[in-house]
Amino acid sequence: MTLNWSGKRRWIALVLVLASFVVMFNWPPVVPVIQLPGEIYPAGEVFGLPITNTFVGSIVVWIVILLLIRVVSGRRPRDGGEVPRGGFYNFFEMAFEGLYGFIGSIAPERYLGPIFKMFMTIFILVLLSNWLHLIPGIDSIGFLHPHVHKVEGHYELLDGFDLATLGGVHYLNGQCAWVSPEAAATMSDEALQARADAGCLSGIPAADAADAADEAAGDDHGEEIDYHHVEPGDPAVPWVILPYVRVPSTDLNMTLAFALIAVVMIQVMGFRALGIGYLTKFFNFSTLFKSPLGGIDVAVGLLELIGEMAKILSFAFRLLGSMFAGSILLFVISFLLPVIAPWPVFLLEFFVGLIQAIVFGLLTAIFMSLATVSHHHDEEHHEEAAAGAH
Amino acid sequence: MEALGINLGYLLIQIIAFIVIYVLLTRFVYDPLIAVLRDRRTRIQRGLEDAEKAANARMNAEAEAEKVLQQARNEAQGIVDEARGRGEEVAQQVQQDARSEAETIRNDARLAAQAERDAQLAGLRGQVAAISIAVAQQLIGASLDEARQQALINDFFAKVPDSARTLSGDVTVVSAMPLDDAEQQKVQEEIGADSVAFEVDPSILGGLIVRSADQVVDGSVRSGLGEMSQRLG
Amino acid sequence: MEEAVLVAGKAIGAGLAMIGALGGGIGIGLSVGGAVQGMARNPDHTGTIQTNMILGVAFAEAVAIYALVVSLIILFVLS
Repeated sequence: MTLNWSGKRRWIALVLVLASFVVMFNWPPVVPVIQLPGEIYPAGEVFGLPITNTFVGSIVVWIVILLLIRVVSGRRPRDGGEVPRGGFYNFFEMAFEGLYGFIGSIAPERYLGPIFKMFMTIFILVLLSNWLHLIPGIDSIGFLHPHVHKVEGHYELLDGFDLATLGGVHYLNGQCAWVSPEAAATMSDEALQARADAGCLSGIPAADAADAADEAAGDDHGEEIDYHHVEPGDPAVPWVILPYVRVPSTDLNMTLAFALIAVVMIQVMGFRALGIGYLTKFFNFSTLFKSPLGGIDVAVGLLELIGEMAKILSFAFRLLGSMFAGSILLFVISFLLPVIAPWPVFLLEFFVGLIQAIVFGLLTAIFMSLATVSHHHDEEHHEEAAAGAH
Repeated sequence: MEALGINLGYLLIQIIAFIVIYVLLTRFVYDPLIAVLRDRRTRIQRGLEDAEKAANARMNAEAEAEKVLQQARNEAQGIVDEARGRGEEVAQQVQQDARSEAETIRNDARLAAQAERDAQLAGLRGQVAAISIAVAQQLIGASLDEARQQALINDFFAKVPDSARTLSGDVTVVSAMPLDDAEQQKVQEEIGADSVAFEVDPSILGGLIVRSADQVVDGSVRSGLGEMSQRLG
Repeated sequence: MEEAVLVAGKAIGAGLAMIGALGGGIGIGLSVGGAVQGMARNPDHTGTIQTNMILGVAFAEAVAIYALVVSLIILFVLS
């Protein structure tokens, strides 16, 4: 598929750019609420687990992988023929062959199969997860959610926005940050006028707000509102957006799970290659009474053990940090200058996602390869492993 | 942990999902694709080997062709040589034939010339006889009768020497003038030899020279004149 | 007032944590510089050098990312 930017298409692109300028001035973007744990769906729990939007993102990734399996195994040549099988299959096969050769230059020949499969699985999963936030709508379309925080039995209202409606669809009105009636009472007349011009619903001065609150909450004026079940658009509460889908690699559950799998597979590979002798890497008492430096060997072995633990955190937080920071970067840039500035950032995130996926898989492959090498006879590799543990 | 969002349930779900995806990818993507790649690699390897083999075969074939060509060339050379030899032989044969033919023709011509000369000489004989008789008449003034004169002349030309009568075997008789059949008959009877060949040599002037295999009887006028001149001188 | 102090403390802490990114930046710069020199001197081995460079950059970047994670945790997780 080749993109042809001559003729009609560039005009379409230009019109879209101009349209995004119009959108930017009339419906300014909103900085979403940033939190590390996945946002919980209001729908409730499944099997005792609250559904998070990062988990939904994972499900999207799994579905994409199933489609990939379907396409690749459907197009793969079965008769041994070398007839081209269509663009995507050929691209995938090319990438596959390249990565196979790449891992082949790292891993020992004997364990190339399992090391490559581990690398490739991690690579595909992490890559698709990382690239998820390049899709428009992810991280920006979601549930409208009252931004309240329950503290010691009563609700505390947090920052948020007013809602507006366009064609029956509610959206956050970026021009109107939510203010409480009490805060509005302290605002200057000019500021209030500006808010009224923009059509903001919240922050009606206290006198009017009392009537509005009477209507909204019925006759029981003093009672707490059930903030989890307010009507959408109620100006009495601050609204935030809760994305339907969030990039799964910004959730520690995924990165930690992958890190655990990687580190466990490294140990499995070590035991598979060296048998029980692999343990001498960590518990090296063989030189304790033979050499004056025997004690140092024991200490180094224990350090290796700590290094393995550190690998878990290293793997988990490297991916989490880069992807979470990338998401925040995209939010913030989109908020500051929604039209032109995000484009290079999206390109950057494309490469960051690719590189992080390669690095995660490659480090796993390298550590697995190193685990197959006997510890005692290979000081050089040992140093590399120690350097890699950082 | 809560603040970081770590949830044991999700952790386990992610791990299980990873294992399931690992198994699925291995079953449906990795193993078949690795097999395809290996298959392709071996096929390319085999193709290269085949090409090498083909190149070798071609080289061998070329060498073989060269050999065959050389052989053919040698054979052709042999054939040409042989043909040339045979041609030379044939030419020689032809030459020889021609030579022998020429020889034959020459012999025939010589014989014909001899016969012609003999015939002319035979024609002359009568004239010579007549001239000599006339000359003798003038000289001696007496005329002999024609018959005696003729006999004398015939005797002059066809007198067989006495010693020639003992000869035997193949005999050659040389006369100054060709002898007619009757004379030849007579000479043969007188010599008594088995076969007599007659030759003509005017330089002997007269008489006969009789030659056998081992003996020559010279009854010619030339030798008689020679003897006489020796005696006189 | 107390809340404002809390926010200020968080912001200062996050900013201080990001000083750690300095090391990562220096490391990445050194490794890429070395790699480019290597590639310029030895263009035949560009592929190998690039692979190792990306690996080294990833390690160096990891340090900066840890700083970033700490700062993000300070900002968004601590309450």
